[in-house]
Amino acid sequence: MAVYERIWRRYDGSLTPLRWRPAVITKYALAEAFSSRIFAAFYVLCLLPTAIGVFLVYLSHNVSLLEQIGLTKEFMGGLTAVFFQFLFLWQALPAFFVAVIVSPSLIAADISNNALSLYLGRPIDRRDYVLGKMAVLFLLLSPITWIGGLLIFILQAYLEGNGWGFENWRIGAAYLVGHITWIVVISLLTLAISAWVRFKPAARGALFGIIFILAGFAQAINAVTNTSVGDLINLTRAIYNVVMSIFGGPTHGDLPIALNWFTLAATCVLSIWMLHRKLRAHEVVS
Amino acid sequence: MTQPPNHEPPVLELDGLTVELGRRTILDRLEASFSGRAIGLLGPNGAGKTTLLRTLLGFYRPSAGGAKVFGRKLATEGKQIRAEIGYMPESDAYISNITAVHFVRLMAELSGLPSEAALERAHEALFYVGLGEARYRKVGTFSTGMKQMVKLAQALVHGPRLLMLDEPTNGLDPPARKRMIDLVSDIRDRGTSRIILSSHLLGDVETVCDEVLILKRGAIADSCDLEADRRANKSFVEVDLEAPSDDFDRAVAALGCEVASLEPGRLKLVMPADLSTRSLWTTADELGVGIRRLDLKRDSLQDIFMRAMEDNHGGV
Repeated sequence: MAVYERIWRRYDGSLTPLRWRPAVITKYALAEAFSSRIFAAFYVLCLLPTAIGVFLVYLSHNVSLLEQIGLTKEFMGGLTAVFFQFLFLWQALPAFFVAVIVSPSLIAADISNNALSLYLGRPIDRRDYVLGKMAVLFLLLSPITWIGGLLIFILQAYLEGNGWGFENWRIGAAYLVGHITWIVVISLLTLAISAWVRFKPAARGALFGIIFILAGFAQAINAVTNTSVGDLINLTRAIYNVVMSIFGGPTHGDLPIALNWFTLAATCVLSIWMLHRKLRAHEVVS
Repeated sequence: MTQPPNHEPPVLELDGLTVELGRRTILDRLEASFSGRAIGLLGPNGAGKTTLLRTLLGFYRPSAGGAKVFGRKLATEGKQIRAEIGYMPESDAYISNITAVHFVRLMAELSGLPSEAALERAHEALFYVGLGEARYRKVGTFSTGMKQMVKLAQALVHGPRLLMLDEPTNGLDPPARKRMIDLVSDIRDRGTSRIILSSHLLGDVETVCDEVLILKRGAIADSCDLEADRRANKSFVEVDLEAPSDDFDRAVAALGCEVASLEPGRLKLVMPADLSTRSLWTTADELGVGIRRLDLKRDSLQDIFMRAMEDNHGGV
């Protein structure tokens, strides 16, 4: 029907399956994020650590190229676990910044003008809504974290051969489990902040506060009590120790790894509770 | 209430529906069934109209009883019910930083339309509500009237089977209000969507609806079938005579009118459908009785509403 006719009619075409409706939320939020050229450029920059990692792995196995530039195969002391740990950190940090940039507008924009009632008045429930929004961050963060990390690990295993991949499975596991854990924690946390703090700069400030100021506060508690108990509220320390334990490397502090997992799990539960409290079609005054 | 055609399930069935928020009972054991094309929810502010709509959408959980929409149970088929509903909330509800067409398209896709169909329908819906020229403007820049219209567009973009409109004329100036009522009436007349219209404006409900549920303090104060009343074409006439006349009373009764004497010389008549007021003038003339005033009026929704508000607890 031509649009100028100004006639209303029922829709009798096909409908998409109910289970795919949250993907609509994801699609529109992704389009919104990439509508900013500055963000798109920043996102490309975030892929740089992975690109450099791939280049270094390739370089370390290309003897002729190394000789041409005057290096030997051991120019980095070989590609040890330390190299992969270092690379992990340089992937996780940009991921955090991407989450900080994107997430404050994900939920706040819907809440600030009561648009949630329009979402939830359709065959979408609150869980679908959160999953749709989380998927935005998962899709954005995955290529610059675990997908890039696993790519490098697989490339190294392929070029090295001789069962290197099996011997160093912990590296692959750390990239997969560590990065996905970090994505889940940071996604839930940033969405919860977005739901509660509608002013974007304030939401970003709150995120930095939780991650970095809380870490400084935790260090202070450790120093005063001469224990590692402050690490219970230190998210960066918790994820670092969890990842290092998977790598099989040294961890910081005296807390058992289980307590670091507890810190991350508690952050997720608290974030879900915050989302549960805030994501309602209408405020209920009791 | 109106019987559903072709054994179609009623649009709305309320089965002892009770909703408590906090410790307050907002809806109290509502029992009713509606099958009309347009159902009006009437009541003063705080009567529970909006709570009833939100409960039907699954925003609030009933504390007792239940409801069915098109025969689907609210408790177990919430998503399926919402898939058939277009909802226009009372308060502002929009995403401010996207264009109207983007916004309406998003809502259409959330309702299950494929992307291309959603875009086409978004354009159509915006033209239909009169926002065709403004469809590439960001919704946040719209006036109050335009925001009401864009809310209507997102509610009907997916061609819902049931359109729930919560105070659609709120904040509109008279021309915009008329345009909104005309649009809703047009949708009703096309017959492809049923409408539930919540309003405290009697005129809006009377114009659009054929069934009315009147709420007062969360309970049903009255319900009526306006369409049946219109079909019955009961005409009420108030007559003031220059002097009381028993002959005139008997003569109009003989014409088939039901006669009630309000006070000496003042009558209220219920006229049969085939009788016109001309017959009353003729009768009076033949009997030499002078008529000082003759008001033809139906038992209006306002009468029904005022009675409902005065009943039970007294006062509105």
